[in-house]
Amino acid sequence: MSNDVKFPPKPKRTKLKIKLGITLAVLAALYTVALTTTGFEVRPSASSAWHTLQRIFIAPLFDADTRAAFPELVGYMLETIAIAYAGLSIAAILAIPVGFLAARNMTGNNLSYIGKGILNAIRAIPELIFAIIFVAAVGIGPYAGVLAISINSIGMLGKLYAEVIETIDMSKVEAIKASGGNRVQAMWYGVLPQVVPEFSSYAIYRFEIDVRASTVLGIVGAGGIGFPLLLATQQRNWEDVGMILYVVVIFVTIIDIVSGKIRNKLV
Amino acid sequence: MLEFKDVSLTYPNGHQGLKNINLKINDGEFVVVVGMSGAGKSTLIRSINRLVTPTSGELLIDDENILKYKENNLRKLRTKTGMIFQQHNLVKRMSVLRNTLSGRLGHMGTLRSLLGMFPQDDVNLAMSNLNRVGIGEKAYTRADQLSGGQQQRVSIARVLTQKPKVILADEPVASLDPPTAHKVMSDLKRISREDNLTTLVNLHFIDMAQEFADRIIGLRDGEVVFDGPVSEVSDKTFEEIYGRPIKEDDLLGGDED
Repeated sequence: MSNDVKFPPKPKRTKLKIKLGITLAVLAALYTVALTTTGFEVRPSASSAWHTLQRIFIAPLFDADTRAAFPELVGYMLETIAIAYAGLSIAAILAIPVGFLAARNMTGNNLSYIGKGILNAIRAIPELIFAIIFVAAVGIGPYAGVLAISINSIGMLGKLYAEVIETIDMSKVEAIKASGGNRVQAMWYGVLPQVVPEFSSYAIYRFEIDVRASTVLGIVGAGGIGFPLLLATQQRNWEDVGMILYVVVIFVTIIDIVSGKIRNKLV
Repeated sequence: MLEFKDVSLTYPNGHQGLKNINLKINDGEFVVVVGMSGAGKSTLIRSINRLVTPTSGELLIDDENILKYKENNLRKLRTKTGMIFQQHNLVKRMSVLRNTLSGRLGHMGTLRSLLGMFPQDDVNLAMSNLNRVGIGEKAYTRADQLSGGQQQRVSIARVLTQKPKVILADEPVASLDPPTAHKVMSDLKRISREDNLTTLVNLHFIDMAQEFADRIIGLRDGEVVFDGPVSEVSDKTFEEIYGRPIKEDDLLGGDED
């Protein structure tokens, strides 16, 4: 190989280096603030952490009384799943019109901003806050939980639906319009067949999230396994807490596996 | 009859798509529009069903100026002018028969169409049109499982199911291989003959234009630079239309069969 290979002059990367320096300085400052204000000192409690962990994760497996509570806890868990399912079913359907409204290629820029703004606002509020509001509005019980879950799911599904609609092939819509179809027909025959698999996939994925979210709703009185969880933690009854967590983990894992398989087939 | 009277179209960005077009196209004529990309072929064809709207002049179909049409009339106009696209624009996840039936949407009430309740007459019509283009046995197959040529045949069947008076075809064979392109064009020509449909086809392959057209219209930079029966067309005509010598690329070839 010869040594006289010609290279163009190397680009000067001063700007890039300055940017990198500033970024690192900002990150360092943020870390310093975060670490100095949070306080890491351990306040010793009556029982050691190790002892508590042992009571949560190991004791329930050998404690006959705790094991006897298993069927009842499964009942609570099924109620939790029912809340998630009901909330999601409502949301999966109501999110469709909202998604169309928020999709830029369906309604134009202005309406789309309004639709997306509403969806962003909904998503900024956590489920628990909605649950507290609905418990106050419709009373303690799973109904409040269903409403909280469905509102929040509309927030996320509406946004995801809108994004799916924005990526479709608009030429199909043009073809329906070119044959004399009206707007509604163009959406039904040109848009929906393209988006239904993605919509279903997102809805199922959201169901996984909703099951997890529903497990804590009982803490504010909105039904499900969160209620016994609240009691057990308040009484420092760690064996029961452990058993409840086992039930939650088992069911959530099963649901994640099954829904993952279904989603793989869909898209 | 289809008549362009001094039709011009200026796009919002200032580009002039069509410049003072004057044309008369008789019922049942098979017209091929040729020109380079960007010459205004698509714009010309899409003006006829108002997918684009010319900014001045008059466009008459059976002596009615369609440029004045609003929503309702526009739907009626579009049921009468069937369009075939380069990318056939079938809905991939629907069956071939259902795709063909979607040609009837313009004739149906919204509610009925949302429920998918197509009248039996329409279903029969769609099926017989699929048979006419030779893919009847694929009726229940999903559209995305067909080859490119078969999909373009479905889109011909869909347009026929509209029962149009005019067929507009925008580069219908540009994404097909030469032998398939030939068969699809032959189907289109045969059907337009059989049903006496006025047909406008955009093509950029000159040998194909000469083979199938009754009449050729040449466009350059939005202007009609040639208009005449195919018998008057020679390679020199195309050189004038394209504004440069004819090259190998301008020929499709592959019509040995």
